[in-house]
Amino acid sequence: MKLTRKELLGGAAAGALGAAGIYELVDQLADSPVRAAAGTRPAEQHLLAEAKLLVHDGIEVIEPPLHHQVITARLAVRPSRAELADAQAVLERALRRIEDRYEVTPAGLAVTVAWGLPYFRRFVPKLADGHLPIDRRASTSAKHSVPAAFDATRFPSDLSTTILERNEVAFLLRSDDREHVADGAQSLFADTDGLFELTSIRKGFQGGGFAGGPGLPKAMATAAGIQGADLIPDGAQLFLGFTSTQRHTQGPSRIANFETLGLVDVREGYFRGGTHMHLSHLFENVEAWYLDFDFRQRVDTTFRPGFEAREGAQTLRQAPEDAAGAADLRGDFRRVGAIGHSGSIQPTSRLQMDIKGADGDLYPKGSAIPQRADFNTLDNPFFWTADPGRDRHGEQPEAGLHFISFNPSSDDFRRNRLAMDGRLPDGTRLPIGQGSRAQGLNSVLRTTHRQNFVVPPRARRSFPLAELL
Amino acid sequence: MRPRTLFSSSSDGATLTAVRTFLILAAIVLGASGCSLGDDGVEGTASAREQPAACPSAWKPGWQRLANRINVPVYCPSWMPSPIDAEIGGQWNSDGVSVSKDKSYLAGFLWHEAGSGDVHVNFRGYPGKAGVPRCEDTQTSGGKTRRLSVPCFSDPQGTREVAGKQVTVYSVSRDADQWHVTYLWREDGVLYAVSEHVAPPLTYRRVLQNLDRIVGGLEVIEPTA
Repeated sequence: MKLTRKELLGGAAAGALGAAGIYELVDQLADSPVRAAAGTRPAEQHLLAEAKLLVHDGIEVIEPPLHHQVITARLAVRPSRAELADAQAVLERALRRIEDRYEVTPAGLAVTVAWGLPYFRRFVPKLADGHLPIDRRASTSAKHSVPAAFDATRFPSDLSTTILERNEVAFLLRSDDREHVADGAQSLFADTDGLFELTSIRKGFQGGGFAGGPGLPKAMATAAGIQGADLIPDGAQLFLGFTSTQRHTQGPSRIANFETLGLVDVREGYFRGGTHMHLSHLFENVEAWYLDFDFRQRVDTTFRPGFEAREGAQTLRQAPEDAAGAADLRGDFRRVGAIGHSGSIQPTSRLQMDIKGADGDLYPKGSAIPQRADFNTLDNPFFWTADPGRDRHGEQPEAGLHFISFNPSSDDFRRNRLAMDGRLPDGTRLPIGQGSRAQGLNSVLRTTHRQNFVVPPRARRSFPLAELL
Repeated sequence: MRPRTLFSSSSDGATLTAVRTFLILAAIVLGASGCSLGDDGVEGTASAREQPAACPSAWKPGWQRLANRINVPVYCPSWMPSPIDAEIGGQWNSDGVSVSKDKSYLAGFLWHEAGSGDVHVNFRGYPGKAGVPRCEDTQTSGGKTRRLSVPCFSDPQGTREVAGKQVTVYSVSRDADQWHVTYLWREDGVLYAVSEHVAPPLTYRRVLQNLDRIVGGLEVIEPTA
């Protein structure tokens, strides 16, 4: 019997869901961190319970899960009340079956379901108009109502080839155990047979660099034959040699929820406990990073020009009191004609004052707002894609990053990302050429794909709003 | 720069098959006889490597003239990565030898082919220099050009002994050595540097092997006049 293209793609995708590929090496190269016993399931899908804190170079670091997988899809469902109600029940049952087997922790398996705007437009457009949160701050600036989630756009440092995706749903799976991720992905799609037409599978790893030895990024890059892999410092958490999960660089508690900081109006509250997710993929030119930037320059461009760092240090302080403001950024640029990555983002990504959140917690000035879940990858650009031509898929491994950030809104993420390009919310435009060294880290990054998503609270993660039809 | 072509191409399938067969047979024979064929196609044998380093006669006059000109010993290699050689004034030598007022010199050898990459090796000497020399790094942003003084060689990756020389390996190099890995050592009051560009078809690891072999096969050329 001949397979249709759809069946063929489905079969290939099903195989790729559980396939390890080069990522099988992660298990051989890194031990799973010892985690605390499981706690309760957070109401938020994006929060990971029981994340482990360790101290590296005297600085508190959150140890992220080792294995990550993102699956994007379109829906093979007709936009009718009956089909959507059925689909909603089927997906929720499948997710609960996974949660029955695994705690929602790095030691177990955390599954986050995020919905692209094409889902809301195709299936529940009127309900989405009435329920999707509104960004108060962006609306005030724009003098008209701006939704908390809008379509991703290219940024000044992006190439014209950066693909703005239109997926209807994305699943993020995270665990220290690759088998848990593989089992979760396979069972999710087996138990929802036919609901989803997969568009891509993206895999990668994080951490593993604190236990001594070469560390996971260096070992994986070396095994994959990545140019410049030999130059990645031993023990580095990421390909680019610096730790990125210092406790203070990650938004605390529920700060990234739509409702917490008051930036977003959750209206009657359907999406309270939810958040916004930006998903992108970027290539990292590891060889250029290590052959063209010396350690001092790598610190300058990753953090701030002149940022204090011991030679060879990998984990640097990023405490609230160290956060740069807009005046610091302008001063750096006047002084040396360049900006650093962290320093450029901090004027927009850190709280500029103490704020008592809607959850009752006090979020002090200098706290980070975004909660990142990015991970290194050797995908080119994806592990599997339904459209290799459009995605410029290659079989040769390439060093990159699947970037995931949870922010209270698309505009909040956009402000941070524009700041990376020297464009601040107060109208400051630092004249930085595309791809120039003055742009800091951006000069060795090349973003291939972007998309924004809505992450509903756990209770409304399955086909949000469909039950209101 | 002069256009250079490494190999002529053939669309004759029979010829290609014959060449492949020859290479396979050659590899078997070489393997059996204890010889090796480097992945850059440069052959070497155990016995050849045991020979004292000798600057080839065709290359020596140029290096001798350099030593005499600055009245300081210079190093001539006995081996260079394919396809370049180290004949000063030869087809691979970029712009002869540059000598500064302080007698520091640069002799560069380059093969470049668009789409294929390049092989680029620089030899430097800094008489009387104790520390890592400084280079000017020019950066333009916001319409303003800034000239910064930066170390010409930075990010030391440790030291290694090569043919009795204690060399420091630098992974970041500036000026004409940009994107090169540099071996640097001091000898009799002179700072010497040999660097090679990390670019396709060469990897960082392969460049280290090449530099080991170049520096391991240097012949000192004393000034004679």
